[in-house]
Amino acid sequence: MVNKSILVVGAGISGLTAAIEAAETGSEVFLVEREAYLGGRVARMNQYFPKLCPPNCGLEINFRRLKTERRLRFFTGAEVLGISGQEGDFSVTVRLNPRFVNENCTACGKCAEVCPVERPDDFNYGLDKTRAVYLPHSFAFPTRYVIDEEVCQGEKCAKCVEVCPAGAVELKMQPKEVTLKVGAIVWATGWEPYEAARISNYGFGRFPNVITNVMMERLASPIGPTGGKIKRPSDGREVERVAFVQCAGSRDENHLPFCSSICCLASLKQATYVLNANPRAQVAVYYIDIRALGKYEDFLARVQAEPNVTFIKGKPGEILEDRETGDVIVVAEDQLAQKITRERYDLVVLATGMAPAAGADMPLLRLDERGFVAPDQVPGIYGAGCVKKPLDVASAVQDATSAALKAIQSTVRRQQNG
Amino acid sequence: MADANAPSKYDAGFAREVYGLENGSYVKQCMQCGVCAVSCATFQCMDHSPRRLFALVRAGRKDEVMRSNTPWMCTTCLMCKARCPRGIPIVDVMHDLKGLALKEGRVTYPQAAMYQAFWKDMSGRGKMFTAGIMKNYTLKRGLGNLGKMMGLKDFGLKMFSHGRVPLMPPKAPKGKKQLMQMVKKAQELERKGAK
Amino acid sequence: MAKKIAAYICTGCGIGEALDTAALVNVVTKEAKVPLCKESPFLCGRQGAATIKEDIAAGELEAVVIGACSPRVNYEVFDFGPNTIVERVNLREQVVWTHPADDEDTQALAEDYLRMGIARVRQSELPVPYQAENMVKSLLVVGGGLAGLTAANEAAQAGYQVVLVEKEPGLGGFAARMYKGAPSRPPYTDLEDTTVASLVAAVEANELIEIHTGTTVGRIEGGPCLYDVTLLSGGQETSRRVGAVVLATGARPYDAGRLGHLGYGRYANVVTGNDVEDMAQKGGIQRPADGKAVQNAVFILCAGSRDPEHLPYCSSTCCVDSLKQALYVKEANPEANVYMIFKDVRTPGRYEEFYKKVQSEGVVFIKGEVTEITEDGSKNLTVEFSDQLLGQAASVEEVDLVVLATGMVPSTVDWAPEDAAEAPGSVPSVQQPLLNLAYRQGPELPALKYGFPDSHFICFPYETRRTGIYAAGCVRAPMDPVAAVEDGTGAALKAIQCVELTSRGAAVHPRTGDLSYPEFAMQRCTQCKRCTEECPFGAINEDEKANPLPNPTRCRRCGTCMGACPERIISFKNYSVPMIGNMIKAIEVPEEDEEKPRIVVFACENDAYPALDMAGLNRLGYNAWVRIIPVRCLGSMNLVWVADSMSKGIDGILLLGCKHGDDYQCHFIKGSELAETRLSKVSETLDRLQLESERVRMVQVSIMDYDKIPGILDDFAAKLADIGPNPYKGF
Repeated sequence: MVNKSILVVGAGISGLTAAIEAAETGSEVFLVEREAYLGGRVARMNQYFPKLCPPNCGLEINFRRLKTERRLRFFTGAEVLGISGQEGDFSVTVRLNPRFVNENCTACGKCAEVCPVERPDDFNYGLDKTRAVYLPHSFAFPTRYVIDEEVCQGEKCAKCVEVCPAGAVELKMQPKEVTLKVGAIVWATGWEPYEAARISNYGFGRFPNVITNVMMERLASPIGPTGGKIKRPSDGREVERVAFVQCAGSRDENHLPFCSSICCLASLKQATYVLNANPRAQVAVYYIDIRALGKYEDFLARVQAEPNVTFIKGKPGEILEDRETGDVIVVAEDQLAQKITRERYDLVVLATGMAPAAGADMPLLRLDERGFVAPDQVPGIYGAGCVKKPLDVASAVQDATSAALKAIQSTVRRQQNG
Repeated sequence: MADANAPSKYDAGFAREVYGLENGSYVKQCMQCGVCAVSCATFQCMDHSPRRLFALVRAGRKDEVMRSNTPWMCTTCLMCKARCPRGIPIVDVMHDLKGLALKEGRVTYPQAAMYQAFWKDMSGRGKMFTAGIMKNYTLKRGLGNLGKMMGLKDFGLKMFSHGRVPLMPPKAPKGKKQLMQMVKKAQELERKGAK
Repeated sequence: MAKKIAAYICTGCGIGEALDTAALVNVVTKEAKVPLCKESPFLCGRQGAATIKEDIAAGELEAVVIGACSPRVNYEVFDFGPNTIVERVNLREQVVWTHPADDEDTQALAEDYLRMGIARVRQSELPVPYQAENMVKSLLVVGGGLAGLTAANEAAQAGYQVVLVEKEPGLGGFAARMYKGAPSRPPYTDLEDTTVASLVAAVEANELIEIHTGTTVGRIEGGPCLYDVTLLSGGQETSRRVGAVVLATGARPYDAGRLGHLGYGRYANVVTGNDVEDMAQKGGIQRPADGKAVQNAVFILCAGSRDPEHLPYCSSTCCVDSLKQALYVKEANPEANVYMIFKDVRTPGRYEEFYKKVQSEGVVFIKGEVTEITEDGSKNLTVEFSDQLLGQAASVEEVDLVVLATGMVPSTVDWAPEDAAEAPGSVPSVQQPLLNLAYRQGPELPALKYGFPDSHFICFPYETRRTGIYAAGCVRAPMDPVAAVEDGTGAALKAIQCVELTSRGAAVHPRTGDLSYPEFAMQRCTQCKRCTEECPFGAINEDEKANPLPNPTRCRRCGTCMGACPERIISFKNYSVPMIGNMIKAIEVPEEDEEKPRIVVFACENDAYPALDMAGLNRLGYNAWVRIIPVRCLGSMNLVWVADSMSKGIDGILLLGCKHGDDYQCHFIKGSELAETRLSKVSETLDRLQLESERVRMVQVSIMDYDKIPGILDDFAAKLADIGPNPYKGF
């Protein structure tokens, strides 16, 4: 008996795409996502390059397709514990972690108003805080609150339970384990930003005004911690002079030896954020090579034409802080001008790279020496998206669409072979 | 003398010569990022940054590389090697370039003379003897340098008062012969290691 | 028309506290004459939904009107199967969450929405899926290169039949000319054998794939599941019926003849990267002039690319291809000196590790611009360039081989014969006949920039502007072989998805699963050609008399044709001009002296409606004069609705839709743009009727503009207050 359903692990843009495309083609699909919301890391971006369009637009369409597709069932707060079996007949155990809030939740927010506990907001990369009971972000889908059990005081507080008009808070919710029987698996668990603190000469973690590109996305986002105003962390001043440092932790034997593919374009995009917020701002981009491939070259040409953007060929060796002002000083060799430069900025954005987030050691899933899902897997298991290699959104969607077909083949092939 | 306006010709010969040094082949991997240029403790004194020096090596500009003070400014602090994204042991490459420069007879820098003076005295004695080194150094640099040496006299007197400048050479160390054998072996390995 | 209806009003989520729901029930039963109307404190709960189901069964109801939360939530709870029409009246996000409780204007708003919802559902019928004779699920793949072979192979592996057409006598395309492939697996440093040969063998051996080499596509008629294809081969015609098309005709190298300044065509030893691949395949790299060994080679990257005078764009794969070819040169002569002159070294992702490997083989990378190439009597070359990192002019002499890393040009376009070879801005633009679609709007896929028929959506890269036809590989965008293989696979999936959905009569993205389709009451057609011209997807053909010939399987169900038709002959079973017209007429418009204006807001379902919901979720209030009518796309906006509104006494009409223009967001390409154009025409009519044209406005919004919604709506209301009430009120 061949199982024709497909499991997609991870509901970022790649997982969502693979799941929706496979379901619309006719397959039964299970989509499991570890976080309490779907959308993964793209939900945390302000805009996509080169169109500078909002991720929530495409996500809204995808969620609409997901809602109308009866063959697709998704689970949030879900983690894969183990996989066994073979193509056409996999057995996957999944733990469904309790959200402590049930489907009655209308996201009215009264619970958060009375909650006494605060926690760092991981959606905003720690740039602000939420209460222990929180909505992951304002566009969260499912639109339902969740409780961080690590900080929640539980029964002895229970203020949220009292105040909820819909009876949606269930502090006693238990984790559940389910076993899914599927014919094929698409592993799309995505990436995580490289730990910038490990690049010790760049001061991340020591100097408040050195931030990473993913944090910049949150600062620039109108639904982010600063309402879209690009304010520097030390004193909340809106920035006038910003430096982008490319290849921060990528193309580097000491960190990630590969190139993270998207950081050049991401910095160009963020340069436009800075200029849109403040047309008088000055932006500098320190680079080794500018990687704007294919038609993205047009976007590079557009940003290069901006008079307030300077490109400096030379990767900084040091980033220093002026303690009194919080200003950051970038020391780099300007190779085209043949001189060493020391420039002062309000804010430095490190274009940190993408490390794969394949998850814990999973039997049957082959990872390469850098932790990416390797090109060759056992039949029936397919990687999709940034967990395979660093990719931009359009390429990740292309990859996921292709993975959907491969997964469908696995469910059909065994059928054909009996 | 080449026409200053003529384009400078890329010459593979010198590059290969450098690649043949023990650590010279690492120069090939340099991607010209420039981190070393500003990580180096003495970069402000260098005529060419390490990055630029490597570009000059690959361009085959032997004269400029050999005349450069860059390798001689290296204090072996290792900051460059720690940070180099290509994992190039820059300090070791600088060391090899120094050796090449000396072999080519380019000893214009005080540091070069100091290295030679140090080695000449040490390799004979097996132990450090400051006065011996200074004597060698002075002879190497020439009497014209004496004026500069006199400028150091206050410093020298201070060192002397702290007992840092013994007037008499030290006793030969035990196992001096074995030490010299080790040095010879190391030199042999260095030659073998060169490609 | 749905006759048997019941209505349900949920009093949960604050609705019961903010509104007089008993009064609402009254409006529904007494005014709107809906026989059954129940209230429930928790309609989405098990009990609530069960009650509705029981009522449907007992009363054989055709439709239910649910006055509760937004249709964007609780979608599975309020789904009662394909035979029940469900009309969701948004009393939560768009009434009680955005307006003050216990307020007569809020109450009026809720009452109107119920009236409108009932009017809408009364005009609604269950869609009947479009079916036609002999709908097939096979694929046509045009192009037998890497992407095309992959699309064919992958579709066949999923069990679908494929007709593969290739214009050359053999399969393989440019990929077959590659000597080796760049690394695609760990340790990402070694050249690999190419996979084309085994792929060709697999395709040739697959019984589901019918191969036609030396063949081109003469004509394609019809639509998804119903394409009638005529293939031409050596004067012979063959016909096939297929379900979907994958265009994988690839790209050609940029014409190096236009790079005379780099010596191509003038000096024998200047070649392109493709020439190097050919040489390597034939047995080794040598000087073309005399067959001697290559001691010194110079690669010029971005030859004719990233150059406003040639190809302004980057061709993605040439840097890595050049690295590969540099290793061929070294393979032929390990002592060779190889130099690469570049603008930027573009080795993204794991190719970075390949870059390091090629460097360790001794290839020297120089950032610079070539200034001149000259040749001596023995055909040796001298390449002069500005060495940017050393800040000087430099040269490499006695060069045996100069390789130009030329970019690629999609097969969809070529230069006109009269274009001078040195013409600046020489991006080819003359459309090439590849598909020969018998479509009124043109025979080929509309292209985006530079001739690439790509999608303009980052999230949906396969959404070409012709339903059922998907582009894959280098014809879609410059890409490397690994990406071309993925692209072929992805396009195959979309093509399969299309035939599966279409064979059931369902639409594809973005209105996936929609079973309705536009029907034309031809007796009133005046052959004005608006629908055939304005359809963003070219779904409507024309006959010789200019009568529209709709092709439902090519349709994306946006309704742009419905909005365009001045005679209003086009309608969907569950979406029509009279339906919206009746919704407008159901609005209760107070007398002028009450000073309570009424504003109709047409909100596109894709971005504007969600933005309105988000305003509700964030409890952002706005005026209670607005009456929001969701539409599939602003393109479906029919101007008669403006007339209906004006004659009803509505004071203003606001259109909220997606951004149009060069960086358009409109999910139906130009629906939003068309609405804007139509509005500009209606201002003349309004002026003639003594109605101020400012009464009708359009604002582009994205979903992220939810916080601006109150401002937009309140500003508009303020402007209308300045203009004064509609003089036609009470007529």
